[in-house]
Amino acid sequence: MSTPVIKVIRPGDTSKPDPFTICIVANPALEAPRGAGQFITDPVVSDQPAFDAAVTYIHNCLFGLLPGQGEALLAVPDIAPKVRIVSLFVPGLPPQDANSLVANDSISNQLIARRAMAIPFLSRFGLTADVVYCVSKSSTHSRATAWFTSDDDAAGGLPFTLDGITFHHRFHHLIPGTIAIHTGASSLTALHEFQHALSSYSNGKIVDLYVQSPPAVNCKHGRPIPPSFANYNGTNLGSDPTRDSLGYPAGWVSFYCALHNQNVPAVMDNYPLATAPESCENDVITRRFILERLRAKISR
Amino acid sequence: MEPLKPEDKTFILENNPQASPEEIEEYEQLLSVRFTEDPDLAPEPALESARSRESRLTELYQKLIAPLGGPAVGSGQ
Repeated sequence: MSTPVIKVIRPGDTSKPDPFTICIVANPALEAPRGAGQFITDPVVSDQPAFDAAVTYIHNCLFGLLPGQGEALLAVPDIAPKVRIVSLFVPGLPPQDANSLVANDSISNQLIARRAMAIPFLSRFGLTADVVYCVSKSSTHSRATAWFTSDDDAAGGLPFTLDGITFHHRFHHLIPGTIAIHTGASSLTALHEFQHALSSYSNGKIVDLYVQSPPAVNCKHGRPIPPSFANYNGTNLGSDPTRDSLGYPAGWVSFYCALHNQNVPAVMDNYPLATAPESCENDVITRRFILERLRAKISR
Repeated sequence: MEPLKPEDKTFILENNPQASPEEIEEYEQLLSVRFTEDPDLAPEPALESARSRESRLTELYQKLIAPLGGPAVGSGQ
């Protein structure tokens, strides 16, 4: 193994022993295909410039720095200085189970994070993270995916209510949110996947809106569409009656929250269909939920 | 999950006469749903549902994607 290259992209809250952290890792080995127990070296470890470019892209996408970007999620004054971002590039690791953070799916072009490997892999390099981007340069698979966070529900958190039910923005996780992403990713992909990954299996999921997803924080089912989407922490948030410029397909029962920019799809919706995809912004509940979850973790 | 690029959907429809927009939508929906349950905590009914979903995904992959040469169809990267 060559010397690991660890770069601190943003220092975050240096006054805390466990600041909110995003780790961007070059995937050492691909499981190909997923579930086969067979591993090959990920081409990304032979291309540090491509990895470094992906790190820059991910950072810029999260902070609204892409040309024409409308959603500057993390560029909020009370959040931006508290976000720690670290990149990890380790060439020369053998292609084996313990070094594989991403799998090539066997029935799609999805790159899929091997989420259970994230904590043990990072710990070998003295790192921890709340969200892990696993960057691949697979020659056959290119589609980014994310697993939500598995919260530590036995630990602390800040309570919130959603339609009268109490949940918690948890301080800690059992398994961090994990993202598999290709070096060629562009547009809002890094932000879209981050919002999945930061959401929670037990305290609120942020789901895809370009298909009929199960009910979640940002998705409800029912017809006719009611004027009120949800009551979040005592505030009524309106619905999006028209799904911006896309429209709800006939037969769909899902409906969504009102948008910040009503002229373009939501970040979790079909943003590639927008004339200028980078101009897409979140719906009201997604932005509020993600930012409050971030503030809870930052406060730990 | 990253949305399907419009040009990739067009590529599938134009190059696979077996493909329909409805089945592409079903394939996309099933791919997305994969990630909405904690894979390490899923109860038995969810596991059964996942097995059924993966079986249908395999069918759709064989019909929609495999004839075009595998996972890297369309524009890819």
